[in-house]
Amino acid sequence: MTSPALLPTRDRPRRTPASRAGEKLHPVNEGRLAFWLIIPSILLLTLVIGYPVVQGIWRSFFADSIDGPLEFVGFGNYAQALWGRYSKEFWAAFNVTWFFTITTVVLETLIGMAMALFMNRAFRGRGLMRASVLVPWAIPTAVAAVMWRWAFDPRGIVNHVLGTTITWTGMEWSSKVAIIVADTWKTAPFVALLILAGLQIIPDEVYEAAAMDGAGPWKRFWHITLPMVRPSLLVAVLFRMLDALRMYDLPAIFTNGANDTTTLSILVVRASLGNLQPGYGGALSTITFAVIFLAAFLFVRLLGANVVPKERS
Amino acid sequence: MIRLRAFAIAAAVALSTASLAGCASGNSSGSSSSAEDGRGPITFASGKDFTKEMGTLLDKWNAAHPAEKVTLLELAASPDDQRTAFVQNFQAKSSAYDVLWSDVVWTSEFASHGWLEELDPTVFASSDIMPAAVKSATYDGKTWGAPFMTNAGLLFYRSDLVKTPPTTWADLFKSCEGRPSGMDCYAGQFAQYEGLTVNAAEAINDAGGAFLAADGKTVTVDTPEARAGLSVLADAFKNGMINKEAITYKEEESRRAFVEGRLMYLRNWPYVYTSASATDSAIKGKFGIAPLPGVSGPGVSSLGGIDLVVSKFSRYKATAKDFLAFMQSEETQKFVVSAMNQASVRTALYDDPDLIKVSPYLPELKKSLLNANPRPVTPNYNAVSLAIQKNVYPALQGSVTVDQAITQMAADLANAVG
Repeated sequence: MTSPALLPTRDRPRRTPASRAGEKLHPVNEGRLAFWLIIPSILLLTLVIGYPVVQGIWRSFFADSIDGPLEFVGFGNYAQALWGRYSKEFWAAFNVTWFFTITTVVLETLIGMAMALFMNRAFRGRGLMRASVLVPWAIPTAVAAVMWRWAFDPRGIVNHVLGTTITWTGMEWSSKVAIIVADTWKTAPFVALLILAGLQIIPDEVYEAAAMDGAGPWKRFWHITLPMVRPSLLVAVLFRMLDALRMYDLPAIFTNGANDTTTLSILVVRASLGNLQPGYGGALSTITFAVIFLAAFLFVRLLGANVVPKERS
Repeated sequence: MIRLRAFAIAAAVALSTASLAGCASGNSSGSSSSAEDGRGPITFASGKDFTKEMGTLLDKWNAAHPAEKVTLLELAASPDDQRTAFVQNFQAKSSAYDVLWSDVVWTSEFASHGWLEELDPTVFASSDIMPAAVKSATYDGKTWGAPFMTNAGLLFYRSDLVKTPPTTWADLFKSCEGRPSGMDCYAGQFAQYEGLTVNAAEAINDAGGAFLAADGKTVTVDTPEARAGLSVLADAFKNGMINKEAITYKEEESRRAFVEGRLMYLRNWPYVYTSASATDSAIKGKFGIAPLPGVSGPGVSSLGGIDLVVSKFSRYKATAKDFLAFMQSEETQKFVVSAMNQASVRTALYDDPDLIKVSPYLPELKKSLLNANPRPVTPNYNAVSLAIQKNVYPALQGSVTVDQAITQMAADLANAVG
């Protein structure tokens, strides 16, 4: 998406500094240059992200009718979702979205951490291992979802291996388990990769010194690994949390929202595309946006002083 | 400073998630192209052509009408995606699609928004056309579509185990009592999707219940008849006549169960006939077809099928209407049955001995079709169908009673049409 915008900016630095050869670049000039260089990207982003978002928010203040003139309803569509006639399904979706977010992020963080610690050790075939662990992440979610739905078929491989006859996608608890398993399988490697990057910058000397001081493996993990990997860990959790809050493909393909697996994103798609309610759909998507925004904001505020390196004053 | 940074990060990451509604809500703007009833080349936007024969059909038209050629535009295979493409096209008042392929449940929605050109009922809704198909193309007393293909559910049964197919639910379940072990009695499509609406509508309509009144606005489902209809399916789940794994069945899963010999009775569309008689089928030569069962005698099938509609924004409406007449003509409809293996909308063709030779299920399908009921005809079909699915599903699971399900369904339907 951003590559077309990068093209001109990639060309320009080559010419511009050359034409100013010998001339000392002042910080001010550099700033001005940077400004012009990022303008194309900003414009493109505004067009493809900003416009639809603003349009969605603007539309959410008008009635659903798609014929004739727009009728302004203020926050009416929001009221319908939050305490009006759709409130039951909205809050059910809100709760189940958070349920999936919390369970999958916790599992993915724990498993991802374990995978990263393992991959960080020196052993034969480490490169192959690191590459292969990323395969689930590389598979498009919709494809993975269809694959897992076959696996969770009553006559699928999961029942075969476990020796059970569970109707996985036909009951509430098992549908949720199936979705959590598939999501964890798919994205734990992504968490692992981000944590691995953090692990690799921890110098061996620190561990050696700790070992010499008598710190056992658990103490070394708790007092050295965890604090030092914390920035990467928080970024991984943040990304995963935001991704999980807009979960769509897995429940849509596994159950089509049955068995209390209707997430907020499913509601948005249903209202906007299915029921042709652009107003209510816009309100739902704006609420979802606000939920994700708030979650990200609180996360960064409360935990994430290190997510972005502090600016030097 | 930290606060600002946090804000910026949060905004950046959350922004990318909110663009969906914006894409979906393009408001109606732009001016209608001058509505001349002209003639010229037109575009036919159809669903995915699984039969691979649509081209042959259009070649025939194009050879006869060199100045009014039809271009085929095949859309995605998923009906939901087709509908989305149509709606976006209509909202943009675009003349890109002249003739559209409308699932029978969409026609009234498109018509209610004023997106369709009204058609002459004496041409496109004549008495030669199946009455249920005509009903599906009628909205507000006017004709908006030319029925092109039709479809109805059939009862597939194991002719090696059942001599005469049952016509009532009671007989059907009774005949299952001595079935071979490991074989399920009955299955239809019970996952939460459109197929569940179809199956529930058949059970409820047959028992004398209806979701909506003829006006498409009054909810009429809260009746003992509707409860009795839904109870047939819910009870069958409860006492094991329907395997609980059928709650995950769509058309394909249920077809597989039958073709692999795991099922005594199957409710499905006629397409199952082909794969059940294929050489790799476990039940080749061991199955028969009958109309669906009912409470007291043959049941009521939900109607499937395709109407062809003309866009209000088409520039060449005269050509488009001629093309519709061509597609509905007896010659084309014969081709629909013999080459495309689909069900014709012309009643007379079901008695054609040549066609019966190719598709032996035609006489049974005719019985089913003449007794078929369109699904609720309403501009809010999507929301109506969802309200039905959402309440039927837990009743079949047994997590709510039939009584609770119907009561809640009535409330949800009122929300959907209101």
